[in-house]
Amino acid sequence: TAAPLSFPAEKHLVLLRDGRTLIGYLRSIDQFANLVLHQTVERIHVGKKYGDIPRGIFVVRGENVVLLGEIDLEKESDTPLQQVSIEEILEEQRVEQQAKQESEKLKVQALKERGLSVPRADTLDEY
Amino acid sequence: QSLEDCPLDEDEDAFQALGEEDEDIDQFNDDTFGAGAVDDDWQEAHERLAELEDKAASSREPDGPVGNDGDVLGDPEDALAERLTRLVIDSELEDPAIMQAVHTRGPPQQPGGLNSSIWDSSAVLRRIRGPLLAQEMPSVSVLDYALPQRPPQARDEERDPSERALPRRSSSPIIGSPPVRAVPIGTPPKQAAIPNFNQQILCPKPVHIRATMQQRYPAPYGERMSPNQLCNVPNSSLLGHPFPHSVSPVLTHLQRAQLLGGAQVKPLPAGRMSPSQFARVSGLVGSPLPSMNPKLLQGRVGQMMSPAGGFRAFFGAPPAPPPSQLPHPPGPGSHLQNLRLVLSLSWRPARCLHPSLTIPALPRPQPQMFRPDTTHLHPQHRRLLHQRQQQNRNQHRSLNGSGGDRGGHRSSHQEQIRKDPYANLMLQREKDWVSKIQMMQLQSTDPYLDDYYYQNYFQKLEKLAAAEEVHGDGPKKERTKLITPQVAKLEHTYKPVQFEGSLGKLTVSSVNNPRKMIDAVVTSRSEDDETKEKQVRDKRRQTLVTIEKTYSLLLDVEDYERRYLLSLEGERPALMGERKQKICDMYDNLRGKAPGQDRPSDDHFMQIMCIRKGKRLVARILPFLAPEQAADVLMATARNLPFLIKKDAQDEVLPCLLRPFSHVLYHLPLGTVTSLVQQLTNLPQSAAAPTNLHLTAVLQNKFGLSLLYLVLSRGEELQSSDTNTELMQDNQWTELMLMATRELLRIPQGALAKPVSIPSNLISLFSRYVDQQKLNLLETKL
Repeated sequence: TAAPLSFPAEKHLVLLRDGRTLIGYLRSIDQFANLVLHQTVERIHVGKKYGDIPRGIFVVRGENVVLLGEIDLEKESDTPLQQVSIEEILEEQRVEQQAKQESEKLKVQALKERGLSVPRADTLDEY
Repeated sequence: QSLEDCPLDEDEDAFQALGEEDEDIDQFNDDTFGAGAVDDDWQEAHERLAELEDKAASSREPDGPVGNDGDVLGDPEDALAERLTRLVIDSELEDPAIMQAVHTRGPPQQPGGLNSSIWDSSAVLRRIRGPLLAQEMPSVSVLDYALPQRPPQARDEERDPSERALPRRSSSPIIGSPPVRAVPIGTPPKQAAIPNFNQQILCPKPVHIRATMQQRYPAPYGERMSPNQLCNVPNSSLLGHPFPHSVSPVLTHLQRAQLLGGAQVKPLPAGRMSPSQFARVSGLVGSPLPSMNPKLLQGRVGQMMSPAGGFRAFFGAPPAPPPSQLPHPPGPGSHLQNLRLVLSLSWRPARCLHPSLTIPALPRPQPQMFRPDTTHLHPQHRRLLHQRQQQNRNQHRSLNGSGGDRGGHRSSHQEQIRKDPYANLMLQREKDWVSKIQMMQLQSTDPYLDDYYYQNYFQKLEKLAAAEEVHGDGPKKERTKLITPQVAKLEHTYKPVQFEGSLGKLTVSSVNNPRKMIDAVVTSRSEDDETKEKQVRDKRRQTLVTIEKTYSLLLDVEDYERRYLLSLEGERPALMGERKQKICDMYDNLRGKAPGQDRPSDDHFMQIMCIRKGKRLVARILPFLAPEQAADVLMATARNLPFLIKKDAQDEVLPCLLRPFSHVLYHLPLGTVTSLVQQLTNLPQSAAAPTNLHLTAVLQNKFGLSLLYLVLSRGEELQSSDTNTELMQDNQWTELMLMATRELLRIPQGALAKPVSIPSNLISLFSRYVDQQKLNLLETKL
């Protein structure tokens, strides 16, 4: 099997700290895990569906990388996930976000009524 | 100064003197105000100034230096272009400015051969050539070979500056500074470039490219577009990695520039359009473009493309002039053709240099042999990618006649190589370097200390694998184990730096030699001031500290086995001694430091047992204790069981003690067992209370009941195994048993706890003491 960064290039999947998933050919890496990704595609997953947005070349700063892995091209095709168009997946994402926000609001409301307050995740530090 | 010195009545003279002095000072001199201030490039400035001086010398104007410089203050680019035109129109060989320039740069740089002309050594051209160093080889050599008829016309055409784009700032492919050249720019190539050609196109590497490019001549300018420009476009467009839309403006600009060849082109900002950047980084260069001078669009329109859709238009639209026009002398259309030819050809390996093998940009709809996974690419991207592939393949196939039989694999390999020139962007050296850094971080003198969990985890895995291996002879799964570098432990005693002959030591604090910054003094509190709660809290804290200390001891002791295996023979007794000592310490900690007499109070122990961690600690320590000590612990537990049960209500950790307790029990003699039961049931020797709270509590608790069963079971074991025991004769035991059974019977079923396990020999035990009826009842309860 080919080692990474060699020819033939292997596709890599990168998960970033902000939750984004990038898939592309890893062209360069350094000791801080800064990455150079070529022909990158941002993949958005919602439920069983996913959509790919082509992004071009990415240079990712190492501190934002959560994990990086090689994609087995044979296994890549047999997933139960279904690929949809970009518009559709963005729509789905928006719907999902909305639903989450609403449930979060209800929760906070309920807690407030009981006199408790849980700090919202976005006000907490990432760490 | 002159002002101050002059007396008042001489003012007028003074001012005049000043004015004269001012005339000497070039107030509006170029360097301060003019283009010199803006322009960093002294070479250009020099040219301009040299020419200016000439002009000033030839046509001396009455208003002095100011008039001349008015020129400079104007738009630098336009002025430059003008001047260039002027320069060129006069025969350059006679122009003293250029002659001077030639001489100052030095004769050795005068190249002989194809492109020998004074332009090669001029400052202006230097910059054209500069970026070349970073470019792909192929396009230049292609030019050399593909368009052999060019050179004769070259001289005439390159004289036309309006067709030549101004050179860019030189910028290195990697960093912003110009590349270091071993050989001066204008030197002719020492050897044929073809042998390198193959490598270059397949695996573009900045180092190699630079080296070989040095030896290349820049192609004659004018009709033949400047190589740096040409190089860019092929790299970007034909690499088989069509870019997303955002890149099209970039390419468009270049194409425009090339087609125009206009000298009106503004010098590009340094670094932005560096060819190597272009070659490598496609998508990132999109933004600077809007700043480009719209003048670029003027000039030859020809097959001009619209800025927006430049890239796509180029490939999408069928080329208007047919390829057959190609060999003809330049016309407006041929620019495009030239471009296309070079674009197509530059992408081919050295073998297919024949100019007539022009590949039109039209896509050929042929079936693909090898379709890589391109689902992640934009549809257009993918289409273009496949187009390139097909073309390449066709090209390759047609060239390689018999070689085509070499096997599909080989051709597809070539395909892939051609298709993916970025594949080995990182040199093996660089990759090794990064892994070296990462491995260095894994170096450790004591992996079990630094990386305990990793080591343990992999040990476990290996054991599992070994076990599996033993069981079945399945295929041996290759488990790649990361072999981390082991570094020998070096003992460093740090000695602070000392200078000879100096008084005292350096007051330098470092990691190894930290300086005391704060004087923290521990103040012990007096007992009187403390409230009850604080005392309780303190006591609890003490207990916690004790637990922690004991835990450390425990971990050390548990580690001894491993150390034992690793150590040398001589060291082993010492290790064993250490271990023993530690065990004793642990026990002491558990039971409280030995007072003078026996340990009357279980208090210390109880404190520990009230804390969850303490219970777990005891469970782990028990296997290491000597039997007596362990029995002691067991006794203490049994004695205070209801209390413990109460305290454990929330944690429910007591059952963890069962296993070690059962191990301990296994080795206990009968007498101990008896007393244990006694403790458990807490039956006073003399009189039996009507209800036995102790026992009840025990029975109602999972741990208690299980423990009781265990003890009873042990007793039964002893009884049955050794018929000659004193047990039968032991009234105590019998009494206890009776009590136990009575209690068991009395307790309603629901109240009875669910024990962890019910030993099998209980029934036989009970059968000795109760009659059948009760036995049945007992059975149901169990």
